[in-house]
Amino acid sequence: MKRAMILVAMAFLGLVVAQGRTVNLLWSGAVTGPTSDVGGPYGAGVEDYCRYANEQKLIPNFTLNCTVRDDQYQNPNTQRIFEEALDRAKPAIYLGYSTGAMLQLKPLINEVKMPTIPASAHIGLIDPPNNQYMFLPVSSYSEQVVALMEYINRTTKNARIALVINPSPFGRAVVDHARRAAQRLGQTIVDVREVGSGNLDNTALLRALDAAGAQFIIHQNVAGPVANILKDAQRLGLNRKIRQMGAVYTGGSDLIRLAGDAAEGFLWASSYYTLDENAPGINLQKQLAQKYNRSADILNSTNYTAGMLAAAIAVEAMKRAAQRFNGRIDNETVYQALIGMNGPNAFKPGFAVSTKAGIEIDFTRSEQTGAEGLRVLEARGGKFVPVTEPFTSTLFRQVRNP
Amino acid sequence: MVDFVQNLISGVAVGCIYALAGLGFVLIYKSSRVINFANGQFIAIGAFVAYALAVWGKLPVLLAALLAMLLTAGLGFLLERVFLRRLVGQPIISVIMVTIGLASVLDGLMYLTPFGSGNFTFPQFLPQGGLSLGGINVSYPQLLAIGFTAVFLVLFSWFFQRSVLGVSMRAVADDQMAAMSVGVSVQRVFALAWAVAGLTAAAAGIVVGAVSGLNQDGLIAIGLAVFPAVILGGLDSVPGAVVGGIIIGVLQSFSTAYLDGLFSQIGLVGGGSQYVMPFVVLLVMLWFKPHGLFGTEEIERV
Repeated sequence: MKRAMILVAMAFLGLVVAQGRTVNLLWSGAVTGPTSDVGGPYGAGVEDYCRYANEQKLIPNFTLNCTVRDDQYQNPNTQRIFEEALDRAKPAIYLGYSTGAMLQLKPLINEVKMPTIPASAHIGLIDPPNNQYMFLPVSSYSEQVVALMEYINRTTKNARIALVINPSPFGRAVVDHARRAAQRLGQTIVDVREVGSGNLDNTALLRALDAAGAQFIIHQNVAGPVANILKDAQRLGLNRKIRQMGAVYTGGSDLIRLAGDAAEGFLWASSYYTLDENAPGINLQKQLAQKYNRSADILNSTNYTAGMLAAAIAVEAMKRAAQRFNGRIDNETVYQALIGMNGPNAFKPGFAVSTKAGIEIDFTRSEQTGAEGLRVLEARGGKFVPVTEPFTSTLFRQVRNP
Repeated sequence: MVDFVQNLISGVAVGCIYALAGLGFVLIYKSSRVINFANGQFIAIGAFVAYALAVWGKLPVLLAALLAMLLTAGLGFLLERVFLRRLVGQPIISVIMVTIGLASVLDGLMYLTPFGSGNFTFPQFLPQGGLSLGGINVSYPQLLAIGFTAVFLVLFSWFFQRSVLGVSMRAVADDQMAAMSVGVSVQRVFALAWAVAGLTAAAAGIVVGAVSGLNQDGLIAIGLAVFPAVILGGLDSVPGAVVGGIIIGVLQSFSTAYLDGLFSQIGLVGGGSQYVMPFVVLLVMLWFKPHGLFGTEEIERV
């Protein structure tokens, strides 16, 4: 009897060891509610990469438990979800979402020392104070906007630019940096306007910007409001007079679908490869979308790519933490793995472009931006095509903290 | 001058969308004194049903729109039968709380569908661009909104003034008990009000979808954005909803055109006065004329 009990216990123990341990990853974002056009595909990207990581056993001896929660773009929900996760199953890494919630949670994230990769690329998240555990996967919104201003400067000197931004911290993130950059480039910011979703008519806005002499409009928004402005500009004939462009969440397949041919000529700053390019990450994205029966809209979305990149960085950091710290994966070891992701140890999943040879994603203790390169792409014939090589905004480094 | 007229006409066009969205509100309030907080959800459901019929059902968009309006009317009728009929004679606050609950449930149900996340666009069913005359331009979806509003305004004006059912609705709104005592079926009136509210909400949703694409959050927001319009016009007045909607639309257009520029000049970043102005007007209105421009002034003798 005693022998039988020992055998059963050993078999149980063997089963547990064979199954390995569990490590937790949390993502919370707007799967529904405002900006869910971004959050839906982003969350799908996180979810699919997690499934893939488990299937491929990317973290040996560990089962990845990915919790994907819908916070409906409500900061109190995000806070509750994060605190709940801390109490119940402390995640080793947190993939965040909105600018507002991330700025609100920043002190708490710092206090609990939780490595965090937000979908928001607000530069304030990696600026002091309480910035130690925040890591942006790609260049910040401010850098994207300053890079667009530099791009304008290549062809048009002393340009007159209007900023049209989302009425939220996400939109307002870029205004100060754009003003400082304009001063250095000899450009004029003629107006800054806030436009949110539900912009049923933009005639007054566009005519006012035209009257102010704007030659360019730079958008920091999501695709919906931008598409409406593009359609109205086309109707009013202002698309030939004012060139429009925007940061990462303005463009992509969503904009083309919503604005139709009014999107032609729109310039888009993005660090991500497009679906038409042959990059390892993009190929994986296509493969996973097919495998997990994702719709064409999700597959085509850059936000799906963005979610996968965030999850890929997280999974790689957990894998490296396990290797470096004898199978110990927690917030502290994952943080160490993230800040060690540089030089020969940089990470190259093939989702984002880079200006450094062979290096796609790298972080250090003080450099908390992953892919520092970006490209300007133009909508041509119903898709975005790159019109520049990957570059890094030199001016942004000068205007970031004057 | 051209700018002024263009801004005015654009404001009127947007105002007509508010008016359409507000009509459902007014119809229900006019017949039952209930404020329907699920109006935005009706708008979203109408628009998404039209999209589903047009894209998945491969029906012509106009036929899909017509069917969607009828189906949303059916939904309004059904919700009244299942949830609201039981509340006849109960305190108004209970009924309002039920509409808030309904909004929440309908939201949740929509989140379970593919429409809960993302943006959608109707297949092209109107010509691109718009009508231009003397430098003034109006898009075809905006013309559709103006047309819909005009048609509904005429129909409802006739209905409430001339038809037996319309007069019954007004009687029920005036005094439920008195109306019942002279043989008016309060239940039938309520069901009809909810059905017609569903129909107009769907019309508004379809127009919004044609103008700016379909997004659940955006469509629901339109349902709430019409509050200032209907309170300004008078909660129980059909012409009031139209006039209120147009005033709010024009006010938003003018504030974007003229106020935001001034704010920028004095260093206030962002403008965005079009989001604030309707509520400033709402406050002023509630202060000086709480029953609205065309609403019924209730006099209580103590």
